[in-house]
Amino acid sequence: MSYQRLKDWFEERYDIEPLRVFAKHKLVPRHKYEILYYTGGIAMFLFIIQFITGIVLAFYYVPHHEFAYKSIIEIVTKLNMGWFFRSLHHWGAQLAILALFIHAFSTLLLKSYRKPRELLWLTGIVLLGISIFFGLSGYLMLWDERAFAAVRVATGGAGNLPLIGNFIKSFLRGGIDVTGETLIRFYAFHVSLLPLVTMILIGFHVFLVQYHGMSIPLSQEKKVHGYTPFFPNLLYKDLIIWLIVLGIMVTFATLLPPEIGKKADPLAPAPENIKPEWYFLFLFQTLKFFPGEIMGLNGETIAIILISCGIFFFFLIPFFDRKSSRGEKSVLFTWIGVLYTLYFIIMTIIGFLS
Amino acid sequence: MKRIILVLVSLLMNAGILLAQETKIDVFPAAPYDRFIIYQTLAIFWVGIIGLIIIIRMKLKEIERIQSLGIDKEDKDTPLLD
Repeated sequence: MSYQRLKDWFEERYDIEPLRVFAKHKLVPRHKYEILYYTGGIAMFLFIIQFITGIVLAFYYVPHHEFAYKSIIEIVTKLNMGWFFRSLHHWGAQLAILALFIHAFSTLLLKSYRKPRELLWLTGIVLLGISIFFGLSGYLMLWDERAFAAVRVATGGAGNLPLIGNFIKSFLRGGIDVTGETLIRFYAFHVSLLPLVTMILIGFHVFLVQYHGMSIPLSQEKKVHGYTPFFPNLLYKDLIIWLIVLGIMVTFATLLPPEIGKKADPLAPAPENIKPEWYFLFLFQTLKFFPGEIMGLNGETIAIILISCGIFFFFLIPFFDRKSSRGEKSVLFTWIGVLYTLYFIIMTIIGFLS
Repeated sequence: MKRIILVLVSLLMNAGILLAQETKIDVFPAAPYDRFIIYQTLAIFWVGIIGLIIIIRMKLKEIERIQSLGIDKEDKDTPLLD
């Protein structure tokens, strides 16, 4: 069947003309910060790569505490290109979370969350949280001593939250401590629940972007020098950026494949100088700064409450920043955005170096 | 005799170190030939990516040129041939 006949066959059955008209008329403003429009596309591209490499790995991975570690060693050492797919999945996750953080902080600093895009911000932040949980649950799949200790610390930290802490901890662990049950639970989250929620949220997020159009930063509203059609101009530019990202990911995957430590032993003490993944370092470092006891109260619990408040405020920032919603300049929230960004960067660096 | 004992002791010591050493799992093919092929493929991969980027850039420039001339718009009054 020729392309034209296939096209005719399809068009006889489905009216895609409105979609074509929409694609032709979608315009993207040109200004100083337009480069940041690509960060969302990069994250979505990396999510697609993660889905593909994840499916390939799931064919061979055994989600049982007796065999998980062995199955990963077999993927890496015996399967043809197994090491590459595992490494690609690892680096894809790191870059996807990095792209999401850049996307979130640029949205925060440019106040693209302001009215009427509040829901876009909320779905985006939930997606960021899900990606971090993707990272944590995927980390445990390895079932080595570092992953085991990291999950024990992370779930233990969640347990310090007052009232609901213990419930969250038990729900995540599937028991009192991190065991084979936790591995099965994390596997279920990693391959079924989280991908499902992610797909729904990405669909909703992308729909909202199309509905509202691209946001123009307040400072650039009068400085926009024209509009570029999304199709085909921006799509081609997106393709170029995706190719570069793919190249970087493949290079990292080849030159720096992730190591595998010793098999997890629930009875063994946690290895020395253990550090979580880089995107948890700011939390880890904050917890380290707090003393064990503050005025007779558990220091870690206070730290967890303060961090939760900070994250909650971050999540609801579009509803607090009333000035930006009215289209006015809001210096206070610019500083709050800068503070959040700097705090994340500085704490991550300190955590990395210490 | 002294030398033999010394050699034996040093051999045992080295063997002990080897035994105590942690076995590191190879997460990357260890054979030099395999490594060479992988690095070579990576270089070819980048050549492919750069080639694709150049092609897309050329295509984009052409589209922008047509758009700047204004000849990409459909003429509504064009008579249709049945």
